[in-house]
Amino acid sequence: MKTLIKIKPKDYKAGDVVKIDFMAMHPMETGMRKNKDTGALIPAEYIDEVKFMFNDTLITKMVIWESLSVNPLMSISFKVPGAGTLKVIAKDNKGQSVESTTQITPKG
Amino acid sequence: MRTLSITAALVCLALLGTVNAEEKLSMSDADKKMYAELLDNNPAEMDVAEGEQLFGELIGSAGYAKMLGVKEKDLPKYIAGFPRYVESAKRVVTLAHSIQMAAAANEKPVPKLESKEMVKISAYVKSLANGQKTNIDVKANKHMQEMMKLGQEVFEERRGGRGLSCNNCHSMDIVGQRLRMQPLPDLGAKETAAASTWPAYRMTQSQMVTLDKRMQQCMKNALLAELPLGSKEMVGLEVYVTNKSKGNTIAIPSVKR
Amino acid sequence: MERRSFLKGFGAAAACAMALPHVSSAAEEKKSGGPNEMNFETAVAAITGGKALVASAKVKMEAPEIAENGAVVPVKVSVESPMNAKDYVKAIHILASKNGNVRCANIYLTPANGEAFFGTRVKLGGTQDVVAIAEMSDGSFLTAKQNVKVTIGGCG
Repeated sequence: MKTLIKIKPKDYKAGDVVKIDFMAMHPMETGMRKNKDTGALIPAEYIDEVKFMFNDTLITKMVIWESLSVNPLMSISFKVPGAGTLKVIAKDNKGQSVESTTQITPKG
Repeated sequence: MRTLSITAALVCLALLGTVNAEEKLSMSDADKKMYAELLDNNPAEMDVAEGEQLFGELIGSAGYAKMLGVKEKDLPKYIAGFPRYVESAKRVVTLAHSIQMAAAANEKPVPKLESKEMVKISAYVKSLANGQKTNIDVKANKHMQEMMKLGQEVFEERRGGRGLSCNNCHSMDIVGQRLRMQPLPDLGAKETAAASTWPAYRMTQSQMVTLDKRMQQCMKNALLAELPLGSKEMVGLEVYVTNKSKGNTIAIPSVKR
Repeated sequence: MERRSFLKGFGAAAACAMALPHVSSAAEEKKSGGPNEMNFETAVAAITGGKALVASAKVKMEAPEIAENGAVVPVKVSVESPMNAKDYVKAIHILASKNGNVRCANIYLTPANGEAFFGTRVKLGGTQDVVAIAEMSDGSFLTAKQNVKVTIGGCG
């Protein structure tokens, strides 16, 4: 599972509230679509849980349903306490899990 | 044929007129802003990142520039000129063709034009030209002139079960009128800039689509036989449509309905 | 047959291989809900445990009034809150009132977020309300909604 983490704005100080935009490449199949050629139902396959950790402390947990669009975006706010590691763990209903990290580097 | 053209025109006008009368159709500025924000986190972004990886494995920028006989720093401007005549191919080629040429030159498996791999790679390569103005030169030589002429013929030719041409919905006379709730776009206008904003993420398809594939999808819905990707007619059509967007700034991938 | 309506029917077929254009209504779009099927009332009860939902201006639900298509509908929710240990938004729940599985996301926040916000894109099976429920640290449930008209238009 390919992922992307973006911190907006790019430049921030400790104490600022930034946005964390997390995207994952995922088909988010609802289990209600039919294969055009065979007519068979395509099984449900979707990200069902996302955890955001900062320096190993859980800051946000998400329970996600198949209703999110393909290649889903999950965007939250984050008050920067200082420098550290942001880790995002995304899991899908098939048990596939991916960990992505990025450094939080406040300027001053 | 005269009867058919009158009917087609009446059909378009009646349909357009009826739809306009019905419900509130225009998107509010607030709605437009929300859709514009989709570009900040384009669902196709990760496909383009994969394209970069695949392109690197295939040949990479340095090798690609060398194959084309171009300085690597001039690649963005050069890419902004596709489709173009390439001497080593002895014909007008699309960006996708040039990627196939690169694969062959580097003795790597050649990606098929219809493949997802090709969509990702061509999107990445075209993104190198982001910020450049589409600078296709349809007068450059007789090959380009020939393809431009062919493209215009294809654009204007009525075919298929309903005798429709691209012009029925995309001529400048009809621009702005609504067909099934969507205002028909001016393919060359800055706001649409068709050739400068494809490949794009098509929301209704939940995937990234190239310009020629988009045109195939349009043909399918107008009940015209789809021209094969990479065929002479399709290349001509791409030349003609890209020329409409000449001078528009390339910004891909975009997000389209 | 009245000429205009005759031409309307013929026109749709001629210009486009698809059905007549319209703003989809929920009744037409109702299909089986899939493995996670759950209706609005049940989903709300699961969140609130039967406690009342209070419509509040503190909850800002942003979604387009007219959605170009149902596959990618942008949604943003903000809730006014100091987000400190004593007073914060515990969770933002997003529901699509007429989807087979109305549940879209349950976002469990902490004061570390600084602001109560969640943004995403959802799939909507047809015209319906997109509803935000904010679960507050004092045990109350605030809500706001936006009706989204999902258009089926264009030619392809």
